[in-house]
Amino acid sequence: WRCCEVQSHSSRDAGMQTDQSEETIQNLNLQKEAPVDYAGLLSFLQGVEDVVIKELNKNWRSHAFDGYEVNWVDQNETVFCLHSLSCPEAQDQKLQVTSISWNATGSVVACSYGRLDDGDWSTEKSYVCTWNLDRRGLNPKRPDLVVDVPSSVMCLAFHPSQPSLIVGGLYSGEVLIWDTSRIEDPLIWRTGMTDDTHTDPVYQVDWLQDSKHSHHFQILSVSTDGKILVWRTQRDGQLTLVEGFALVAQQIPWSMKLKKRTRGETAVGVTSLSFSCFDPSVFIIGVEGGYSLKCSTAVETAAVPRTGSSVPLKAPAEFAFSPHGGPVYCVSCSPFHRNLFLSGGTDGHVHLHSMLQAQPLISLQLSKKYLFSVRWSPVRPLVFAAATGEGEVQLFDFGKSSQKPAVSVKQASAQTAVYCIEFNFKQPQLLAAGDASGMLKIWQLSSDFIQQGPREMNHLEQLANEVTD
Amino acid sequence: MAEVEETLKRIQAHKGVIGTIVVNAEGIPIRTTLDNSTTVQYAGLLHQLTMKARSTVRDIDPQNDLTFLRIRSKKHEIMVAPDKEYLLIVIQNPCE
Repeated sequence: WRCCEVQSHSSRDAGMQTDQSEETIQNLNLQKEAPVDYAGLLSFLQGVEDVVIKELNKNWRSHAFDGYEVNWVDQNETVFCLHSLSCPEAQDQKLQVTSISWNATGSVVACSYGRLDDGDWSTEKSYVCTWNLDRRGLNPKRPDLVVDVPSSVMCLAFHPSQPSLIVGGLYSGEVLIWDTSRIEDPLIWRTGMTDDTHTDPVYQVDWLQDSKHSHHFQILSVSTDGKILVWRTQRDGQLTLVEGFALVAQQIPWSMKLKKRTRGETAVGVTSLSFSCFDPSVFIIGVEGGYSLKCSTAVETAAVPRTGSSVPLKAPAEFAFSPHGGPVYCVSCSPFHRNLFLSGGTDGHVHLHSMLQAQPLISLQLSKKYLFSVRWSPVRPLVFAAATGEGEVQLFDFGKSSQKPAVSVKQASAQTAVYCIEFNFKQPQLLAAGDASGMLKIWQLSSDFIQQGPREMNHLEQLANEVTD
Repeated sequence: MAEVEETLKRIQAHKGVIGTIVVNAEGIPIRTTLDNSTTVQYAGLLHQLTMKARSTVRDIDPQNDLTFLRIRSKKHEIMVAPDKEYLLIVIQNPCE
């Protein structure tokens, strides 16, 4: 969902003109009502054709506008911290920010608290907090809404069009949905602890478009128990399982070139998921085993049967990518190119992958510690942000350097990891980042991160075309 | 009629051309290589802009008149060849 809100665009590779005379010239329906005087139209076109073609050719060869840029908005040179948000109850318990989500209008930011580092988490309660940044009385130390949750919340996602609905995945494996406009009791749907519930923490949740039943919602949850489950809301407040996928070691489709990993029926722990912004049935997942997988919702293969599910689970993996040197914690599909995605993991590396080959196109070391989150920019095709274990948010621009970040923002001390980052799709100059000290910082990006450059899509196409397999 | 199509095809086939639209005097598109909604948008907006550009030129010097209009944006160049009865709009991506 996060990437599908980007405005549509058309892109053409102007450098490679195929035979365009095959393109049909459309007769619009309007033309039937207004009869066209063909003689007149022909004489007009014959008159202008030469002039137009001369200008088209001149343009193609001209360097008159090379490097020419116009600034319509005030140029903001630096990245600075707009807000530092915190929740007093969470600070008292020394909880960490585990996940962030911006709502559908872009004015409310929510974060969840929990723990990602030490082992003792089973009975600790946690919080989901929201702040409306457009509100006048914004108090950074007092969230607009604080929801008590009985277990650590590991992930959050606001509904893509309903600004008050938010879903969260818990350490206990449950999935809960809250309506933030209900002050009294915001919890409206839950999975509860049934046989279908995940048996491991839920690391990511997303909303799915349910075209068949528009008054119901579908939620997707991802867990290290190896399952990706799809739930539907019921009237009684229950979330019920409608379909699901299970990743099992022996069903991973390794290509000939990659070493064989552990076989057998061991579950493959899924840590992250990103849907393609171009094909809604395609998604990429990152797993604890250190690699990413291309999957499809349209599979028919049943997963190797394991007990406990009321609905048969399918095996979604279609292609395996070459591994990182440690678990993959984050994957992100490009909003601008159908084949490109990023993966990041505990080896501190980010891989830029094309879905067409197993080896990454580019491998970058951004951190000597873990990388917890990578996100493509919603407006700059060549830019992504990464959250590092060294307390930094790094902004990388493939157009500037393929070796080091364009901007490196210090969020916290070098011992305090940044766990999550999210761009605001409605206000792309805002980037939210949450860290291990429980601080949620809203960063305002400089102007060069907000608008697409003139040849950026071409550059991205070139990167994507460096597939060698 | 075939000659009209041939002429438009020749223009459309030039390097970098993204779209070609012919608009009549009322601002209604009568030929296009783009989808309906994009065409209607371009036709309406550029017809108005061309009329404004023409009146600007003639207000400054009544003996003068608009012959060609070019709009350069970050992503493309839009060219308009005007006439009493029609407008020809060509959108080009002039990137090398």
